[in-house]
Amino acid sequence: MKPDGKVVLLGDMNVGKTSLLHRYMERRFQDTISTVGGAFYLKQWGPYNISIWDTAGREQFHGLGSMYCRGAAAVILTYDVNNLQSLIELEDRFLALTDTASTDCIFAIVGNKVDLTNEYALLLETEEENRPEKPVTGCISTKVQKQVHLDDAVALYKKILKYKMLDEKDVPAAEKMCFETSAKTGYKVDYLFETIFDMVVPIILRQQAEGPLQTVEITNYKSAKRTKSGCCA
Amino acid sequence: MSLKAFKLVPAVEREMLMGDKARINVECIECCGKNLYIGTNDCFVFHFLLEEKISAGKITFAATKQLHKYLGFKKAVIELKAASALNRLLVLCDNTITLVNMMNLEPIPTGARIKGAVTFTLNENPMSGDPFCVEVCIISVKRRTIQMFMVYEDRVQIVKEVSTPEQPCAVAVDGHYLCLALTTQYIILNYNTGISQDLFPYCSDEKQPIVKRIGRQEFLLAGPGGLGMFATVDGISQRAPVHWSENVIGAALCFPYVVALDDEFITVHSMLDQQLKQTLPFKEGHILQDFEGKVIVATNKGVYILVPLPLERQIQDLLTSHRVEEALVLAKAARRNIPKEKFQIMYKRILQQAGFIHFAQLQFLEAKELFRSGQLDVRELISLYPFLLPTSSSFIRSHPPLHEYADLNQLTQGDQEKMMKFKRFLMSYLNEVRSTEVANGYKEDIDTALLKLYAEANHESLLDLLVSENFCLLTDSAAWLEKHKKYFALGLLYHYNGQDAAALQLWVKIVNGDVQDFTRSDLYEYIVDFLTFCSDQKLVWKYAEWVLQKSEEVGVQIFTKRPLEDKVSFNPDNVMNCLNKYPKSLVKYLEYLVLDRKIEKEKYHTHLAVLYLEAVLQLKSVTTDNCAEFTETQTKLHSLLQQSDFYRIHFILDKIKETDLHMERAILYGKLEEHDKALHILVHELKDFSAAEDYCMWSSESKDLPYRRRLFHMLLLVYLNPDSSDCELVMAAVDLLNNHAAEFDAARVLQLVPDSWSVQLLSPFLTGAMRESIHTKRMTQITLGLAKAENLIYKHDKVKLKGSPIILSDKKLCQVCQSPFCEPAFVRYPNGGMVHTHCAAKRLMNPNMTHHSQT
Repeated sequence: MKPDGKVVLLGDMNVGKTSLLHRYMERRFQDTISTVGGAFYLKQWGPYNISIWDTAGREQFHGLGSMYCRGAAAVILTYDVNNLQSLIELEDRFLALTDTASTDCIFAIVGNKVDLTNEYALLLETEEENRPEKPVTGCISTKVQKQVHLDDAVALYKKILKYKMLDEKDVPAAEKMCFETSAKTGYKVDYLFETIFDMVVPIILRQQAEGPLQTVEITNYKSAKRTKSGCCA
Repeated sequence: MSLKAFKLVPAVEREMLMGDKARINVECIECCGKNLYIGTNDCFVFHFLLEEKISAGKITFAATKQLHKYLGFKKAVIELKAASALNRLLVLCDNTITLVNMMNLEPIPTGARIKGAVTFTLNENPMSGDPFCVEVCIISVKRRTIQMFMVYEDRVQIVKEVSTPEQPCAVAVDGHYLCLALTTQYIILNYNTGISQDLFPYCSDEKQPIVKRIGRQEFLLAGPGGLGMFATVDGISQRAPVHWSENVIGAALCFPYVVALDDEFITVHSMLDQQLKQTLPFKEGHILQDFEGKVIVATNKGVYILVPLPLERQIQDLLTSHRVEEALVLAKAARRNIPKEKFQIMYKRILQQAGFIHFAQLQFLEAKELFRSGQLDVRELISLYPFLLPTSSSFIRSHPPLHEYADLNQLTQGDQEKMMKFKRFLMSYLNEVRSTEVANGYKEDIDTALLKLYAEANHESLLDLLVSENFCLLTDSAAWLEKHKKYFALGLLYHYNGQDAAALQLWVKIVNGDVQDFTRSDLYEYIVDFLTFCSDQKLVWKYAEWVLQKSEEVGVQIFTKRPLEDKVSFNPDNVMNCLNKYPKSLVKYLEYLVLDRKIEKEKYHTHLAVLYLEAVLQLKSVTTDNCAEFTETQTKLHSLLQQSDFYRIHFILDKIKETDLHMERAILYGKLEEHDKALHILVHELKDFSAAEDYCMWSSESKDLPYRRRLFHMLLLVYLNPDSSDCELVMAAVDLLNNHAAEFDAARVLQLVPDSWSVQLLSPFLTGAMRESIHTKRMTQITLGLAKAENLIYKHDKVKLKGSPIILSDKKLCQVCQSPFCEPAFVRYPNGGMVHTHCAAKRLMNPNMTHHSQT
């Protein structure tokens, strides 16, 4: 089965890319081991098959990122809200990898692990209606002061637009594309992926409108040649 | 892990190659069909014939040496590639590719060769289309240069030279695409257009790169951290990487597996789920290559073949270790390698086996889906449950077995809760499949099993099953139902199988308390209903007495509620004989005959009237005031007497003459047309004037107006009887006249009315009579006028028709017989058609011909 569109998760090691994907696809949280190389899932979204690539955050596999991102319709840049460095790394190390992505690729910036912050309880209260699942009520004392705020992510998003030389008017608003999630409790994980998928569909349509043309040409060309000569003349 | 996908089998032993010469090593290998070529470090090429032998399920290889050839250098043979279509072997030694004959290893006479090659590869997806030509791609000794050659039987031709950004160290080709390992990265290069695409960085100084074409437009590359990366010519990855060890030396493909070699092991990963499936210890290996599906691995001294185990066997192994998902993934992938027919049979079986594995783990949703898609013979499943299959079933479990379980007892180990879950699953499963095509051919087995499950579980659907179309086997099911004391259900089963007598016998036993079954509290009513619709007269008679004894009123329904279209008709006389002992039933039955069926037989009508009468008299004697039952019966009697015209009036009259049933007597006189007697009773004995008026109304119902008038006049006369000067009667007379003005002939009334009455007194009557008279007059005038008008219309038509002359000549033909008129008389239809008189007469008799006149 050939996927119709690609979504790639990028981010430093240990920010929870695999856990996010696992939570979304398998509906549960599970301790994962450091991803080796990469892995991918297929998600049926309406009539489309979307492949979601989980990349390895380790420096060792950094070189593979460009290839994974090639032709991607969406890139989810992931950081850990309790680790400022992980946000900085997105700009320093991972942004360049997205050069190979589709020209109209959309970007999302996701701060994971909000369940560990002291703001989490507050977040839950405001979002009470949207929460399908009761949170794991951990000990208050383990909560820490959040290191990265949503504003930082928004700032990064704007930097990305500058880097890509995109006009803010032509792309989804920064507030819409910056998420804070918790793979552990499932907080806003579905919302994240479903928002992205909905945005990816028009890109798929566009890619399909121009993309296959090339492919058809090549195969036609080849098979035509084949039949001509394959015959025992 | 630890699936057995491959077996390592030795092919060429060290003795056959080098004997005891310790410094001689295997340098390269080529395998083409049965031909195995080995190049050594001392510049020899060996040619073996490889024979595959299968004995007792084990595959062995016997290599027989054909010849060996010294190439005349002091250098190693670097690379060997066969071009079987050209019967050539391409040998790379001392930076030169020589073409030698595949069979005798002699260089070709023309001496065609390619010089300056570091390494080379063949294009397995060639673009030239010439079958007698192979495309060879070399990494040139010239720095950063790749060259493409066309190699023919006895000549070579360079077609392209491309330079690369860095020094290439490994190459694979597919069509126009080169996949290159450069010094610091892998790239895809289209040698036709020169467009290149970076894949990912890789440090070839640290580790030997691997570039392996694995299929159309896809390559397998050694990546950082021991990854096996997949990349297409478009520079994207469509599969997740496999994870090898850091020191991987070589990789080969044998669908659906990627085989890799390192210093100590051969590892097998699945391309389908990227999982490590098998690890074979293999030391000092240094070559791993696949040749047309054959995977060959070699050390310096020996050559081995990795024989893939049949996929079917691998799948079975996975299933045995309950790795259902992996087994199914592998089975789906096997579609590529197995003929369609065989695959479908195999795949179905695997689905079924997988289903049973889920089943045993109580994962019924998954199991059901697998059974469904695997088109499982339901009996396989039923047979796991002890005693459910009918004893007569010819079913034998498939061999080899689909699962390892003897039966449910073994599976549950006596856990009753589990047992219940299994049974509930089977119930819902059978219920779902019984109406689908899965059930075709096994309907008896399925329905019998379902019945047994329902009966055992006391499930309400048992009855639904039995009253709807089913295929439950009688003997088996009956025994089971009896065992579980489901007597009512057993009766239904008998009934379904046409054994109504047995069914009734059983149900009657339940009602009588001889056997216990509380399924229905209204079983008696059910039996009555059953008999009502039972077409077996004998059976109805057999239980009629029993039913009536239980309840006269309900029991009689077996005769009175019979469906109208009932073919068996009961002789009413026989029924009445039977009912004589049951008076209430008898009344109901007669009511049924007289009122419902409207049978116009004097006997029944009289009988019913007598019965009503007796009841009324009897009730009258015991009760003083008007109890409901009395009133009801009396009403019934009245209406029967009034409405029926069939009973023997005199007979009834005799019966009530001596009683004080005046009303009834009046009705009877009325029936006898002795209205004066009747009215006399009503007016003088009952003094019930409204009853008297009613009497006039119903007696004249369906009679003409003069009759009714006669009755009213009669009543008026009774009121105005000069013998009695009862004031009350006079008032009644006035009321009668004023209320029923229309029922009187005013002229006659005026003669009767005493002169003393004032106009005032009779004014409503007079007004009414006047209005009536004028109304009649006017209505008559209108009728007259309309009739005159109609007459005029007809006259007009007549004149019109007579108006134009009709000329009859011998040229005119009769429209019916198409022959000329030969006498002056003819018939002309209003539409102008003319026919012979005799033809018109014929046409009248034979309406088939009418269409002639309509044209």
